[in-house]
Amino acid sequence: MGSVRIEKMTKSFGDFTALHDINLDIKEGEFFALLGPSGCGKTTTMRCIAGFENPTSGRIYIGDREVEKIPANKRNCGMVFQSYALFPHMNVFENVAYSLNIKQLNASNPIKQMGIYGRLLSSRLGKYPADIRNKVMEILKYVELDNHADRLTSELSGGQQQRVALARALVMEPAVLLMDEPLSNLDQKLRHSMRNTIRKIQQDLGITTIFVTHDQEEAMSMADRVAVMDKGHIVQIGTPTDLYSNPSSPFIADFVGTSNILEGTVEGEENGFTVVKGEGFLLRSSTKTKKKSVDVIIRPEHVKVEAADSVIDHNETNVIEGTVIMSTYLGSIVRYDVQVGSYQLIVDTTYSSGANIFEEGKKVKLTVEHERVLLI
Amino acid sequence: MNRLKNSLNGLTVVKVLIFIFFGLFMLLPLLSVFVVSFTGEPTNLLGALTDPAILNSTIEKFKNISLDNYKRIFSNAGYATALKNSLVLAFTVTIIIILVCIPLAYGIARTKMPFKKTISALCMIPLIVPTFISAYAFIIMFGRAGWVTQIYNALGGEGMLLNPYSMAGVVAVQVFFFFPYALWPLVAAFKVSDISLEEASQNLGAKSWFTFIFVTFPLALPGVISSALLIFTVSFSDFGSPIVLAPKDLNLLVVEAYREISGFFNWGGAAILTVVMVIVAAFFFYLQHLFTKGKNYGSVSGKPKQQKLIENKLLTRVLSGYSLFIVLIPLLAMLSVALQSVATTWGKDLLPSGYTLNHYKTIFSTSMGNIQNSIMLATGALVLSVIVATFVSYFVVRQNSAKLDFIASIPLVVPGIAFGIALIQTFNTAPLQLTGTALLLIIAYTIRRLPYMVRSTMGSMRAIKADIEEAAVNLGATPLTAAITIVGPLMLPGIAAGSVLVFITVIKEASVSILLAPPEWAPMSLAIFQNILRAEYYSAAAMSVILVALVLILQAIASFIGKKQQL
Ligand SMILES: Nc1ncnc2c1ncn2[C@@H]1O[C@H](COP(=O)(O)OP(=O)(O)OP(=O)(O)O)[C@@H](O)[C@H]1O
Ligand SMILES: [Mg+2]
Repeated sequence: MGSVRIEKMTKSFGDFTALHDINLDIKEGEFFALLGPSGCGKTTTMRCIAGFENPTSGRIYIGDREVEKIPANKRNCGMVFQSYALFPHMNVFENVAYSLNIKQLNASNPIKQMGIYGRLLSSRLGKYPADIRNKVMEILKYVELDNHADRLTSELSGGQQQRVALARALVMEPAVLLMDEPLSNLDQKLRHSMRNTIRKIQQDLGITTIFVTHDQEEAMSMADRVAVMDKGHIVQIGTPTDLYSNPSSPFIADFVGTSNILEGTVEGEENGFTVVKGEGFLLRSSTKTKKKSVDVIIRPEHVKVEAADSVIDHNETNVIEGTVIMSTYLGSIVRYDVQVGSYQLIVDTTYSSGANIFEEGKKVKLTVEHERVLLI
Repeated sequence: MNRLKNSLNGLTVVKVLIFIFFGLFMLLPLLSVFVVSFTGEPTNLLGALTDPAILNSTIEKFKNISLDNYKRIFSNAGYATALKNSLVLAFTVTIIIILVCIPLAYGIARTKMPFKKTISALCMIPLIVPTFISAYAFIIMFGRAGWVTQIYNALGGEGMLLNPYSMAGVVAVQVFFFFPYALWPLVAAFKVSDISLEEASQNLGAKSWFTFIFVTFPLALPGVISSALLIFTVSFSDFGSPIVLAPKDLNLLVVEAYREISGFFNWGGAAILTVVMVIVAAFFFYLQHLFTKGKNYGSVSGKPKQQKLIENKLLTRVLSGYSLFIVLIPLLAMLSVALQSVATTWGKDLLPSGYTLNHYKTIFSTSMGNIQNSIMLATGALVLSVIVATFVSYFVVRQNSAKLDFIASIPLVVPGIAFGIALIQTFNTAPLQLTGTALLLIIAYTIRRLPYMVRSTMGSMRAIKADIEEAAVNLGATPLTAAITIVGPLMLPGIAAGSVLVFITVIKEASVSILLAPPEWAPMSLAIFQNILRAEYYSAAAMSVILVALVLILQAIASFIGKKQQL
């Protein structure tokens, strides 16, 4: 019922192509994130699913239905807008009740319709039936806004408005929940707690959710799977751990978490490891590759820093020599910038109190395990 | 096929209906006047579409199309003179108004002249009073038995100070009752023009009059020109004052066109005059549009730079005295009408010989119908224009319908009398015989005043973000339901402000009422006009007072709404 499938979708605005050949297969109940830099086509993809834009070519299925001919108001996609788009002339209750009113409107005879129009225009002009009232209050309780039902939306805080928007979309029991950067208007702290709220609600209801964001941390921490987009293309789809440990391109490696990206040349094989050489380093990697020139990806937290005079077994692990340029104390971790050949590598080490921090200008040895050296 | 069905949603149907409305009641009449001006005889374009016989005769008429009609007309001295006189009138009024307004605007914008607030407030009066009432007020003041004439004679003058039944009379009425149209843009222009340049000039030792002529004035010049073009169009299209004041031997385009239609049923002649009127008005409107494009002299609401207002005693006193004189005349004119409305007889002496409320009694017993008609017609036009304007602004703002934007602003350039003639001509036969019905009158009012309404609703429409509407659609509402339940209520303040304006202007409307109103639907303006023609001055005065009072009340409501909106 709630799965979403997109096949070969492209979308052009005039002679500008915003989406190139998008393919997505989102399972029922999945929390799916669309991640990518600004202008890459995330909102456009979402608007095509919701029916506000018509794809130039390709197909979209919601459940098993092909939706091209279904207008936006019949697609049953609950959408949470970036700006929330709450109705400013209605209070919280009326905002949330809107879709229920509309549903009833479509199922009524003209005389009853007049009454429904009446209460849509002003709650003084018509009484809400008990079932609608109960349902709205139930969902408001769920998002912890039941005692704000009579407030105007302009009298709410950002986080509360966000929850009204969520409740308004959820109350119609949509097949899919679409959220376009729902947290970008909130401050840092609220953003963290809303992440948990949204994730919990999604899990409780088991509702298929597509979540747009340009914040990789948000996508990685919330989603079951993430699609990374760039310039109208989908570059990789995978679980957060997948993307993190097996990025398919330097772009993703860089976009998903922080990465050291070095250019290297494959020298050959040795004991089942691939040997790569580059400016100032020689590394062995457990990645197999047929390519000659490769990008070497090393995550900052996979590197250890040792004193220059420590003895290390070169068969156990990779060793690179470098010079500390800067060390930054970030609370639980210490981040070093280390000069290696012409590269500046970022290295994160966990800091335990009492341990000594390498000062700037100090020569050090960096070690990376073979499995942690990725070649793309 | 299915795509077609999808696109045929409720809103598309509404859009088509709106285009049909404009097409049928505005474009078709204008087109048909244009055709008639060539064929020289009534041409039933609508009938030609539905009835083959009419189609044949229409084709026959088209075959006879020639410029003969135009040639004949322009060799007809009467018409050529009418055009010339109308242009001279508009030109004279424009020049005088600009000259009159420059000191007044300067005083308001740049000096601390005494009574500035009072003067500004009194400048509202001319905008409230319809011109046929102001023209009539000038008869009470300057006519043969008018009180000004009496004072003038007592002071030793001969005859009349100003003969209201003359070109000079028409010019005087228009000057004193149209000057605010130029005043406020001029005040704005004086306020925004860069004062530092003037200071520089004065620092260099220039005398203040020199600074004014060579620095201040040129800086305000674009504002002046744009106001001048506006006044020209307004004066050229005005029907109220010429129809009351113009003597038989003074041909003016608007009056001539009215006489051709109502007196002689000369369709060809009226059509040509209409075409000429529309072309001239449209041309000057277009010029004005060119001039104001990208500038915003009319509505300087932002904080103008802090300017030091001039305090020179002599200058401010002279300016104040002069300004009071200008604004006092419309006030005296209105007071004269009020006095006449309670006079038993007035004319032998300076003041009425006695006072009575009988004229009002008569009105409330015999002419209550006219008041009701005015209110009902204005309400009808209001409702229709709210509906049309709301959807027009929806399509213009949300769907970028430039076509509709253009069409909805056409009424601005069509003089009322021209539009009235076009409507009569188009709808006086089957298949749509509407001439003489209240419906056509309401439609005419609606179209004529639609630009005000659209301006007002478009403003509030722009303030509503598109995603709010999309949210409603996303929640299951059709675009039409979303428009009714979300967009409509959010536009309410704009609609309310526009509605009052439409209501007021419809009540004041003279040209369309006089041309189109059937006897059983005669509104107040037509009743006043007929009373003036029949020389029933006292009832005309009483009715005028009621009309102006009604407008004043509505204006107060409008400004109340406006204030509330700003809060
Ligand atoms: N209606 C439109 N007409 C023309 N171009 C458009 C339109 N809508 C979007 N675009 C273009 O399509 C591209 C993708 O836009 P989109 O809004 O999908 O980006 P986004 O990934 O949501 O970015 P952001 O993170 O900034 O919201 C952009 O280059 C944008 O300029
Ligand atoms: Mg976006």
